[in-house]
Amino acid sequence: MDQSKTKLQFFKKLDLQRVVLISVLIVLFAFFSIISPNFRKYTTIITLFGYMYYILLMAIGVTFPLITGGVDLSIGTGLVCYSIVGSYMINHQGMPIWFGILVTVLLGTALGAFNGFVVSVLELPPFITTLCTMMIARGLGSILAGGLTGVWPAAAAEGGWVRSVLKKTLPNGTIVPIGMIWMLILILIMTLILTRTRVGRYTIAIGSNREALRLSGVRVVKWHIIAYMISGFFAGLAALAYGWTFTTITPGTGAGFELDAIGAAIIGGTSMTGGKGSIVGTFLGVLLISLLKTGLPYVGLQANWQQIITGIVLLFAVTIDMIRAKRAANR
Amino acid sequence: MEKIKNNKIVKAIGFNRIVLIGVIILLYVLFSVLTPVLHAGTTFVSYERIMSALNYAYFIGFLALGVTFVIATGGIDFSIGPVMFASALISGYCLTKYNVPLPVCLLISIGVGLLFGVLNGYFVAYRFLPSFITSMASMQIAKGIGSVFTKTQSVTWPASAAENSWYRYLIKWNNIPTGLILLCIVAAICAVVLHKTRAGRYMLCIGSNKEAVRLSGVNTKRWEMLAYMICGLLAGIAAIFYVGAYTTVQPGLGDTFNNEAIAACVMGGTSMAGGLASILGSIIGAVIVALMQEGILAMGFTISYQYVLTGLIVLAAVTADIMSRKRKN
Amino acid sequence: MGEVILTMEGIDKSFPGVKALNQVFFEVRKGEVHALMGENGAGKSTLMKVLTGIYTRDAGTITYEGKEVTYHNPREAQAAGIVIVHQELNMMGHLTVAQNIFIGREFRKGPFIDDAKMNEEARKLFQRLNIDIDPKMTMSDLTVGMQQMCEIAKAISHEAKVIIFDEPSAALTEAEIDRLFDIIRELKKQDMGIVYISHRMDEIKRITDRVSVMRDGAYVGTLITEECTKDDIINMMVGRVIYEEPKTESQVAKDAPVVLKVEHLNAGRMVKDVSFELRKGEILGFAGLMGAGRTETLRAVFGADKKDSGDIFLNGKKIEIKTPEDAVKAGIGYLSEDRKRYGVVLQKTITENSTLACLDQYVKGIFIDGRKERKVTKKYVDLLKTKTPGIDQLVMNLSGGNQQKVVVAKWLVNNCDILIFDEPTRGIDVGAKQEIYELMNQLVKEGKSIIMISSEMAEILRMSDRIVVMCEGKKTGEMDIAGVTQEKIMHLATMRE
Repeated sequence: MDQSKTKLQFFKKLDLQRVVLISVLIVLFAFFSIISPNFRKYTTIITLFGYMYYILLMAIGVTFPLITGGVDLSIGTGLVCYSIVGSYMINHQGMPIWFGILVTVLLGTALGAFNGFVVSVLELPPFITTLCTMMIARGLGSILAGGLTGVWPAAAAEGGWVRSVLKKTLPNGTIVPIGMIWMLILILIMTLILTRTRVGRYTIAIGSNREALRLSGVRVVKWHIIAYMISGFFAGLAALAYGWTFTTITPGTGAGFELDAIGAAIIGGTSMTGGKGSIVGTFLGVLLISLLKTGLPYVGLQANWQQIITGIVLLFAVTIDMIRAKRAANR
Repeated sequence: MEKIKNNKIVKAIGFNRIVLIGVIILLYVLFSVLTPVLHAGTTFVSYERIMSALNYAYFIGFLALGVTFVIATGGIDFSIGPVMFASALISGYCLTKYNVPLPVCLLISIGVGLLFGVLNGYFVAYRFLPSFITSMASMQIAKGIGSVFTKTQSVTWPASAAENSWYRYLIKWNNIPTGLILLCIVAAICAVVLHKTRAGRYMLCIGSNKEAVRLSGVNTKRWEMLAYMICGLLAGIAAIFYVGAYTTVQPGLGDTFNNEAIAACVMGGTSMAGGLASILGSIIGAVIVALMQEGILAMGFTISYQYVLTGLIVLAAVTADIMSRKRKN
Repeated sequence: MGEVILTMEGIDKSFPGVKALNQVFFEVRKGEVHALMGENGAGKSTLMKVLTGIYTRDAGTITYEGKEVTYHNPREAQAAGIVIVHQELNMMGHLTVAQNIFIGREFRKGPFIDDAKMNEEARKLFQRLNIDIDPKMTMSDLTVGMQQMCEIAKAISHEAKVIIFDEPSAALTEAEIDRLFDIIRELKKQDMGIVYISHRMDEIKRITDRVSVMRDGAYVGTLITEECTKDDIINMMVGRVIYEEPKTESQVAKDAPVVLKVEHLNAGRMVKDVSFELRKGEILGFAGLMGAGRTETLRAVFGADKKDSGDIFLNGKKIEIKTPEDAVKAGIGYLSEDRKRYGVVLQKTITENSTLACLDQYVKGIFIDGRKERKVTKKYVDLLKTKTPGIDQLVMNLSGGNQQKVVVAKWLVNNCDILIFDEPTRGIDVGAKQEIYELMNQLVKEGKSIIMISSEMAEILRMSDRIVVMCEGKKTGEMDIAGVTQEKIMHLATMRE
């Protein structure tokens, strides 16, 4: 009796969606590798990681608002805004590099806090709120930095050490994607936060039944704001990863980045209806999206197809999510 | 009884209109005074400036008209700007590269818009996806298709006096702003559809309480989808007016116009919560948006300020709407 | 009965346009079960929300353990030892039982939540209450009754001195109610003060020591339960006697034709093999507990939810009803229990609501025929005696009873012959209730047929010609009104396997 119960729980945990997702990843990787010999190269993997870091960081962050039943659309243009302002501090205000990093991350957290305040205190719909901050962030970056392009130090320049945080070149020329280690550590930490701390517990509870949580005497507003601050904080981290991978940041870009992150989280099993989500799932979703983005040019589809792919993947993921939510309701 | 009702409606619209028109006048005065101060050697008071603002108001106006229907049903369409660009790019490419006759190209433009309306409407109404995520996905698809179709090149429609340039008369003919006349005609049709026909009635009721409408035996899916189709169609029309004013379109852009069109709607009194919409308000809102962008540029600021302002306006308008709803309950 | 632990005096609370509480007095002693009774909308729940700080009172004092107190939120009240078991279930379906019970005061080990300890504590709690639930189960996997037990366990797990039960028995079976009463007696022994809000007279007699009655937001009086009769309480509740005697026999002719026949209907997990028929001019009552599947059954018949299998016959002819559209075309109308969500479009006018179901009949060319539309609306406003300043009034400005009339008008404008009333008088004040009853009787006299779902026994007994009883998604009985007793219905309504 007891044994069959644990067995059942084991299968419950290993849910079907994740199995399918991992299989798709393997098949896709094999597919690209077979079709294109260039794809099999080590440098491609490095490129893939470069594409992945900032999406992954955004996606980990946005998982929290998604679990509360909300969304954060401001992370895409926000990322560009923070990165530009952060590098502006270093290049044009003569600030040390640590200060620029601090500004980048704090700016993200602040905008997240603003989103959280508007959503939980003023009770505006999350998508409208973050749409507005998305527009604001878009303009704010260039206003604060005087319309200048953001540039993070090149590898050889002063302060170029930041780049080796993600990608270290050994004396013999081999590139080691150290960033991946940080990512795995972050995934572990955020998984613990989501499943084992009050932040995570209340994030889930808000998505499940906000009113019930309020009536249980929990200060819902505070925890709701925290969920959005996590999203903003990670958008700040993503801004660093983006700057350190691609060096120059053009003002006014960034719209659409958030969709990759949101799409990845939903593919990973986070539900748009709230109450459900996992960081590991989000990671797998990001892997899938970055694999598609880096892989497609190797099978002869030009880079423009990436946007179309993002759109289609997003539609697909949300459709699946809706079917799943409906089934859960009818069960 | 009948008379009182008519009077009341006139009163209600009148009040709204008076406030918004007051805002337009105020902005105009403000810009006229500030422009020479902030940007020495320039002036805001000129016929050219008005025409230039109107050029901007046309396509924003058509976009706003369309999205008013969607917002009336309680949804949102974030794809209209890029869809407009996709329409202009695809039809323009057909015109310049494949020598497709101009009338057909204009139809293609409208058709592309309509197609995206169908796509959005299908996923929102029949597959129950949240409208914001659906339209953001189709925004990406529109951007991508625009780029792929034109091989990432910008498209330039024929300039005035060139062959196939009569489409520009839709905007301006002998210094008469024909665009304004056309916009007003289309707006009048939209107002009639929204307030005097079954479709409009159902859309507004769906926006207020979709489930109650469904349980009244109405095929809500069909009407909801229709709203998105109207929106797509008008985005296709907006494309014609965009190229009529500016001729050149670049792939991969257009998403800032969504925000401006939505800002025009919420300023005009259309409620993001659905069920309440004003066509006239959307048009006046579009004029305000256009005036603002003209003023901001004239005063020597960058377009970035427009983005920030648009964001703040929508935030303020939606907050005000939600507060007033709360007070009523 | 011990000393007074909690006193509320002179409590006032107003909402825009309504005086919800007017100089209310209420007290609880240690070790007593104090019933708080009153019609729907009498102000019981509002009073308790004022006590626990969900609402702020306009005037009055609350004295608790000898000190004057004001709580600003449920958390403060909880900390002081006043907890409430809510009527509507307040659970987070995605979390486990233990996580729900200890939400807001998790045991922690450093920065982490100690789930193991929470499971252990929950298990102990259940043992104490003699309940068999695994604390590790996900909340949404439990039955409604079990979820209710968890709510109670959660309330008790606070160091409570005053526990408020807000209609706890609405979803429970008889056996579960017995269990609940055992728990309440146990709590009483531990000298807690217990407030018990309920509509069920027999429960009040069984478990409570004193009864306080409220009416229209005002305090009426307090009785010692042992010393009073049911009629005493009812008289205080309603002020005037409106509880007419139950129907004694069916008003429907023996040979009345069957207008609607449902056979072997299955839909989701709440509707299992339900069959019934409805005759012309009949009021068919659907009785049962909360969550028995009555609403789900009739929503499936109406096409609002998906059917898995089953046949529907209209006037002997088989019809397909897949969507509400099909049902409305067939002349069936549905009046939801939740009017505001499913019945009316609040922000629209009476006119717009009245013609919503058949707008195509009020179209001239492509335009809506405003004059015709207003004429028919006016007709039904007069006919149903809807109280409104005009037909252009927004429905949100009408009272509950008048909103219900607008929904009725919607279906009458469409000329529906079969009307499904789901809890027709929920949230409607006493006077308007009477009008709705008269209206229903009038409708069946005119040859319409009515299906009425109701959880109020008095309503079922008074209105129905025939009664179908459901429990856990199955039909457990069907009987003619003649010879029916409350006990018979309750027995069928709790026939669980």
